[in-house]
Amino acid sequence: MTLFISLVRIELVKTWRSRWIVFAVMGGLFVLIAGGLYTYYVISQQRWSPPPAVAWQTTLRQEIAANHQSITQLQQIKQTQPSGGFRGGFSIDDEIKREQQAIADDQYLLDNNIAPLQSFSITLAALFAMGGIVMFLLIRIFGWLASEQIAGERSDRTIAILLSRPMSRDQLLLAKAVASFLISLAVVVVTFLVVYAMVAFIEGSVGPIDGQVAIAADGSKAVGAGNLVVMPILLFVLMCIGAAMLGVLCVEGMSLLVSVVTGRWAAVGITLAVLFGAPLVSGVVTVIITLISGSRANAHFLNYFFVNVLAPVSSIAPVLANGPASAGTGMNEFAAQIATLTVWTVAFFAAAWLLFHRRQETG
Amino acid sequence: MAPIVEVDRLSKSFGHVHALNEISLSVAEGEVFGFLGPNGAGKTTTIRILLGLQHADSGTAKVGGFDCWTAHAKAARLLGATLEQPALYGFLSGRDNLRLFARLLGAVDEKQISELLDLVGMTERGDDKVKRYSMGMRQRLALAQAMLGKPKLLILDEPTNGLDPNGIHGLRILLRKLADEGMTIFFSSHLLSEVEELCDRVVVLHRGEVKAAGPLSELMNVRGFHFRIDVSDVDKAMDIIRSIDGATVEPGTIKDSITVNSQTDLARSINHALVAAGIGVDQLVRTQRGLEDVYIELTGVAPGSPLSAPPPPPPPPPLPAGGLTP
Repeated sequence: MTLFISLVRIELVKTWRSRWIVFAVMGGLFVLIAGGLYTYYVISQQRWSPPPAVAWQTTLRQEIAANHQSITQLQQIKQTQPSGGFRGGFSIDDEIKREQQAIADDQYLLDNNIAPLQSFSITLAALFAMGGIVMFLLIRIFGWLASEQIAGERSDRTIAILLSRPMSRDQLLLAKAVASFLISLAVVVVTFLVVYAMVAFIEGSVGPIDGQVAIAADGSKAVGAGNLVVMPILLFVLMCIGAAMLGVLCVEGMSLLVSVVTGRWAAVGITLAVLFGAPLVSGVVTVIITLISGSRANAHFLNYFFVNVLAPVSSIAPVLANGPASAGTGMNEFAAQIATLTVWTVAFFAAAWLLFHRRQETG
Repeated sequence: MAPIVEVDRLSKSFGHVHALNEISLSVAEGEVFGFLGPNGAGKTTTIRILLGLQHADSGTAKVGGFDCWTAHAKAARLLGATLEQPALYGFLSGRDNLRLFARLLGAVDEKQISELLDLVGMTERGDDKVKRYSMGMRQRLALAQAMLGKPKLLILDEPTNGLDPNGIHGLRILLRKLADEGMTIFFSSHLLSEVEELCDRVVVLHRGEVKAAGPLSELMNVRGFHFRIDVSDVDKAMDIIRSIDGATVEPGTIKDSITVNSQTDLARSINHALVAAGIGVDQLVRTQRGLEDVYIELTGVAPGSPLSAPPPPPPPPPLPAGGLTP
């Protein structure tokens, strides 16, 4: 155990000493983004400090009023356009139904004193940090760093010295996986805290961290007693961090698998090609399937491919915003994505272990 | 002494290439063991198997009685090694490299690290990043790395690579000192003079097979008698010696000298024949054959000769008719 802790420590030191510039750049980007957003805020709002916080009930009532107004406008348009439709296949009647559904959902939450997901700074930060573009990019950086773990040692020939030392290959692989995970966990937590600070500023309050939030089980259906999962705020935040870290672990598993069979640049190239290229290909396939079949739901099977579910929080981010979300969102989808990621993660690590165990180091 | 390294009928193939073909050898504790052979002979493959980097197709390799593949951690605890290309972390200083590798063996002993840096003459540059080191400095630091934790067995694969004459001299003194302290040294090198000077026993490997093994003194003397004769007329002297039964003769490497090899001691017969033929004999010296002679005889390849180098790359494809211009 002592040796294993030493190994993890060594891997942390090596990653930091060889790649500190990456972390410095990431930190610098945070500062730039935060500074840019604040500057934009000051210029657009013409004020230096955030506005007073607004209670979620007030926001919901404002949204209900806005929805009523939209329905009135839509009905006026319907009277002037007897054909009753917009271009692109959307009908005015469908839009009116969506608005009415949104009002019913908001009213249900108000009547039952259940806060929607996006009501608090901390939940909003969790959704944005773990389910958006930030996580998309972070995961790719973690994939890159993990892909160098074994492959870099092989390219530098230090793998031979490491493996000739009194430890097993299992210990080395596990230590590298644990070190990669710990580094990414630290970055994700720091990212979350930075985003939380930014959201709290914009919202005017850090908000409560106790209390409860509700998530629709199926985001495309009406909110009601049978379609809501209610949980404490902190549990929700931990769930988001956990889901994000599962995505990270999955990518690190894939990267380590590539890493155990190639050299540094091949490993980095393959990893980044998969992580950037596969979502692109999936997007094109989704569009083709949607155009042919007329329904995006028919492309949902692509969500069994790990690259498309690396940030499972994105599947719950749109629900209960103001109105029903599209199919494939909500806690059910979130759980399905977690299950998919778990299977891929186990498979990646098992394959990496198997290959590394049998690998003959000839370089 | 009990063998610390035991290799028994070890075979290893890479595709159709038989890198090792049932080789057996053993190294006793405290011995300085020379491992010789041209490139591609299987030396590095053997060393990699001993280090647990590869496993054999058949046969066993043990260090201290522990199988190098199945009981790798126990075997590895007894040894330290340097590889042909010194492997170190360029982004760390020499001292930090040693700290890092020391941690793999347990606790970091700063005193030992300083002593090792001093021993390999790297104290002054110990805090510089390794990426700024010359090849020779890397080689020296790799040697210090191998000596961390005072291993019983030191496996050195071409440790003189990149060292200048001073460095080679320093390495020779260091290895002699370590050997005197009782450390077993498994030493693979192309520099036969180093092996000759340092090693108690050698194994000559060629195309994956052991061609000779034994104490150096036996290996160099077992194959007959050798004479250098300085004469007034080389051509005539060679003709005369060719007529003596059991003697083979060739021109010597020094002007007006010849080299004679025979299975029995023919010194008197040769001298008598030459004098009788009126050839002036300036000196007739019985010489010991060098390791290089034995090596060439066993492998058919001179160390460092183009023949011992890996095959050259295939020639580039011929230019298309019309040359490079479209």
